[in-house]
Parts: sequence; structure tokens; C-alpha cells
Amino acid sequence: MTSPAAHLSAVRVPKWAFAVALLGLIVTYLVLQENGLALGASSELLHEFFHDGRHALGVPCH
Amino acid sequence: MITTYKSLALRGIAAGGIAGAVSALVQLLVTEIPIRAALAVEEAREPAAGEGHSHGEEELVSRGAQVVGGMLGVIIVGIAVGLVFATAYALSKRWFTDRTPFSRSLALGAAVFGAVALLPWLKYPGNPPAVGDPETVNYRTALYLGVVAAGLVIVWGASWLAERLRAQSQPVRVTGVLLAVVAAVAVVLLAFPAPPDTIPADMPVAVLWQFRLSSLAQLATLYVGLGVVFGLLIDPATRRTKAAAKVAVA
Repeated sequence: MTSPAAHLSAVRVPKWAFAVALLGLIVTYLVLQENGLALGASSELLHEFFHDGRHALGVPCH
Repeated sequence: MITTYKSLALRGIAAGGIAGAVSALVQLLVTEIPIRAALAVEEAREPAAGEGHSHGEEELVSRGAQVVGGMLGVIIVGIAVGLVFATAYALSKRWFTDRTPFSRSLALGAAVFGAVALLPWLKYPGNPPAVGDPETVNYRTALYLGVVAAGLVIVWGASWLAERLRAQSQPVRVTGVLLAVVAAVAVVLLAFPAPPDTIPADMPVAVLWQFRLSSLAQLATLYVGLGVVFGLLIDPATRRTKAAAKVAVA
């Protein structure tokens, strides 16, 4: 066994990690929430394509 | 031993992809059953009643494409959430610091499930197709995101409180944190307004709840699965046992 807290201080988080996390949130938003706010009219295709997944993950849909 | 953010992020992507794929499989085999039943309810209505959402003949995307797209969407969400999860894990400085990486990841996965899936499910349970007034979708989305944000604040607050109670004995500390979490969850459930939509009379209760429970199973698969797989991928103990097994076989 390694010492319990040894893995904690070992990881240095660079600034771009926040950009990566933000990208993850944006992608999640586009798949689950896009109702036309960000992409306008082309979002309807996206909305319909991911339709079942949005329902299945319990997100308000229509 | 994993020491860089990049290696954690890559494992987050892998774990999210795997958990998302298993969750998508649950969707195909379990959640699609009540979704099909709900779409049948929708189709039985007058053609004019189902405005604003195309399931009819002039549909934008075919039903088959929606099934595949829905599964793909769950996998993409899994990967995206995996990245956020790995970043949160890398940033966490007080989350169960005395435990192994696997235990920490599993506990974080369970906490995230509670905050962003179980709590909103309790307050605003998901609805199948044929339920939901398009007029109120933005209001419902705001409520839903509000509960998700409140859930994440509770998780963060629980970890903060556990750190503050460090001087106490473990039973006292755990009891204190549990009481605070229960109180905070009760406040959130009482403070947020009731879901605005009524369930249409033509929607069978059995279909509605089969859908909701399937949805919950799928969410648990996604988030707890993410915690398990990420933990397996980052914990050096996983590799060590594999190596030992190889030696034993040889």
C-alpha cells in the first residue's frame, strides 16, 4: 500500500484544465439542452436526433 | 501512480465512454420500452394536438435515427461528464483524503449521482414523450438546472463540513455531515416550486413510472459506473493485482 494521501499532492492541475472542464459542460449542454438558444434553427435537427437520450436522462424536453 | 492532469483527463474520457456505452445499452434494452409505449399514446391523439414536436409522418429525424442518436447522445454526455469528473477529481483536496484512489472515485461518482441525477429526479422526475407542455419548457429547464446546482453545492458543502469537523471523532463527524446533508436536501425539496406540468389523462401511470424508473437506472449506470471505471483506471492497486495474477499464472 502507498501512503494514503500520497496521490493527492502529486497531481498538478494546469490552467487549461478549466477550459477542458468547460468544454465538457458545453458539450453536455448541446446534447441535452440545446433548444435553439446557441445554434438557432439548425439546433432542431440536433434536438430531434438526441431526443430519446434527453428523455432517458430525465432532462426537460418539450 | 498517476501524477499528471492529462493522464487523469484521458482516463476520465475512457471511463465516461465506457459508462456512457453501458448506460446507452440500458436505454436500448430497458428505457426504450416505455418510450415506445409513450409514443403510441402520442400517436393516438389528434394530429393537431402534437404540434411543436415531430414524431409524425413529416418527421425531421426517423424513429430509428432517434433510437441510435439517443444512444450516441448518452455516450457523448458520458465522455463529456467524464472529463468534468476527472477535473473535479484532480482538483479535490479534501474529498476522502484518507482513502484509496478507487474509494475516492467511487464515492465521488455516488455523490455526483445524488446531486445531478437523484435529487432532480426526486423533485422533477423525468417524463416520457407525450407528457410536457412546450410552453413551460424553459421554466422547467431553469428549475431543473437550479436543483442540479443546489445538489452540487450540497456535495461541496458536505466535504467542506467534514473538513471543518476534522477534530471530532469519526462517528460524530459522519453523523454531523449526514444530518446537514439531510437538512439541506429537505430545504431544496421544499423550497423549489412544484413541477408545473400535469400528467395527461391518456398517459397510463404504469408507462409513466416504468419510464421514470428506467431513467433512474440509466442515470445510476452512467454516474456510479463512471466512478467505478475511473477508479479502476486510476488506482495503482488494479494494475498490481493484474501483474500478480500474471505472475501466478506463469
